[in-house]
Amino acid sequence: MITYREALSAAMWEEMERDEEVFLLGEDIGLGGGAFNITKGFMEKFGRDRVVDVPLSEAGFTGTAIGAALCGMRPVVEFQFADFVTESYKMIVDYAAGNHYRQMGPVPIVLRLPAAALVSAGPFHSQNPEIWFFGTPGLKIVAPTTAFDAKGMLKGAIRDPNPVIFMEYKKFYNYPVNELPDVLRPEIPEQDYTVPFGEARTLREGDDISLITFGTTVLEALEAAEVLENDGVSVEVIDLRTLVPLDKEAILKSVRKTGKILFLHEARKRGGVGGELAAIVSEEVFEYLDAPVRRVGAPEAHVPLSPPLERAYLPSTEKVVDELRDLAAF
Amino acid sequence: MDANHPLATREELASLDFYTDLADRYLAVDGLEARWVSFTNNEILPDRETAERMHYLVSLARAVEETLDSAFRSGHIPGTAFFGRGNEGASVASAMCLEEHEWLVPMHRNCGAHLAKGHPPRSIMSHFFGRADGPSGGRDGNFHMGYRPKRITQLISHIGTMVPIATGVAWAAKARGKGEATINYIGDGGTSAGDFHEAVNFAAVRKLPLVIIIDNNQYAYKTLLSDQYACDALVLKAPGYGLPGFLIDGTNAPLVHHVCSQALARAREGGGPTLIESITMRAAGHSVYDKFSDYVDMEHFEKWTSERDPIKRLDEALIEFGVMSVEEVAASHDKARKDAEDARDEALKSPMPDPAHLTEGVFAE
Repeated sequence: MITYREALSAAMWEEMERDEEVFLLGEDIGLGGGAFNITKGFMEKFGRDRVVDVPLSEAGFTGTAIGAALCGMRPVVEFQFADFVTESYKMIVDYAAGNHYRQMGPVPIVLRLPAAALVSAGPFHSQNPEIWFFGTPGLKIVAPTTAFDAKGMLKGAIRDPNPVIFMEYKKFYNYPVNELPDVLRPEIPEQDYTVPFGEARTLREGDDISLITFGTTVLEALEAAEVLENDGVSVEVIDLRTLVPLDKEAILKSVRKTGKILFLHEARKRGGVGGELAAIVSEEVFEYLDAPVRRVGAPEAHVPLSPPLERAYLPSTEKVVDELRDLAAF
Repeated sequence: MDANHPLATREELASLDFYTDLADRYLAVDGLEARWVSFTNNEILPDRETAERMHYLVSLARAVEETLDSAFRSGHIPGTAFFGRGNEGASVASAMCLEEHEWLVPMHRNCGAHLAKGHPPRSIMSHFFGRADGPSGGRDGNFHMGYRPKRITQLISHIGTMVPIATGVAWAAKARGKGEATINYIGDGGTSAGDFHEAVNFAAVRKLPLVIIIDNNQYAYKTLLSDQYACDALVLKAPGYGLPGFLIDGTNAPLVHHVCSQALARAREGGGPTLIESITMRAAGHSVYDKFSDYVDMEHFEKWTSERDPIKRLDEALIEFGVMSVEEVAASHDKARKDAEDARDEALKSPMPDPAHLTEGVFAE
């Protein structure tokens, strides 16, 4: 089994061998192999014109990637941390996202965003960027949680004709494979594959409560479901895998079965994707609900650095368990 | 740089007057040297065929925009409209230097560049009128347009944004190794945007085949040059990026063609980017809604628009040096005017977009 990090490397390596229009742009990715060593050895193999160490200029190199994509190239942009994508916001939201809608052609770029909290990474190295992009049409937003998804989705993103916000989770980069729950380490096939966007994955089947999540919190979701099983409550855990496109039917199907639903994500509750999903459930399957739609997300604060603050900020298994027990008792 | 050209002194640079100092010479900047290059209007004229085409396109640019302006006043243009009056010569003469397969990355005041690259007036009109058959199908308007069949990128409102896009277009040109180059325009205001710096720096670092033309039209909306930058001329930013630069009178279309074709040749041969500061006068408001006489020095404005009108200058030069006769010049203007008006009439017959298609095309398949 390979790690999530190795899966990302393998995806790019294979795509660069397959298609010479694919090239990488980012800070320190060539000579240094990237802040997280994901492109280590790439420059030696593919050269400095396909593994491009760029000046410190996120807006500039994102725009450069878009320009190259307009001409048919397939740039993959690495941000050192997802947080720095705010530098490039207008390039993505105003230029790339709408270019096809304005009938000016596709913009096939992949924006690789090392996202979410690690350990005491602080306010500018811990954020969840989906909240900045979810309301903009024309951007695909994907959130792989396993090495299998990381590889298959990155390959899919590179082949996709649209701009893709590719959230990759620092927490999973080097996560010891043997410490992951079995369901989070699917076998990676030898042959080429891609993971289609818009297909959620049921990590655990259950009958009493639907627990819908994505990103780092798949871990807390699975742990909490285990705890509830000991209470005699059967929790269904679904990893959305991609936010745009959204597998709405997977959510609705699950809640029609269970009648109770909890949305969980690491990003703040206010303005988080869970709010939109809760609204969809209320609008479309209200008559199946046996309890209010609930959400667990971070509180109204910036991601703090000091360990006790950070622990209190991040959605924990305990918080999820508490909400699930509340729902179960409803 | 040719050492026979006289060095510009610090005093000359500190007291640059765009009106008098660029009448029969331009400034060539390379490293810490800035030299005056003198020229006569005769020696910079392009060949006859190019000159005739240039004349028609410059005239067409003005005719298209004047037609649009009157269409706006008749209520045919939703939203607003920005025009490049005063910039037609520089816009046409530079974009004419591009080959068919090369990309153009225009800005708001580049109707001339669109036309020179082959964007049909009919399509431009439909775009302004918000029609279904315009290049964006009514999803944007004004000069926020591109035209993919002729390799023209779309611009967005955010000034500065297009310079990184141009760097990417130049990157693709270089990566494909076919000796292609691209042109991008930015205004005097745009040079203050961080994107300009990020993109020009990267283009210079990688020696990308890019010619950046700063259309210094002396006003950024309602902001004076003296509130925009502190260097003696924007071209003096070029050495800071390790680039050569030229400061030229952009109302002299043959001069623009002369300098721009050299810069493009250098870019195609792998010599890297060039920064060209082209001085014009924004001979209209920022947009059709802008009552510019409230803040523009009208005496200065009148001097430029009467004596440095690019169309008048081109007419005079072509006639003086026997490239075109008085009759040929008049016929060229007549054809331009008719073509613009025909395009307007056709576009006004085009259907408006159907709201049934509102949400189509958000994603590429």
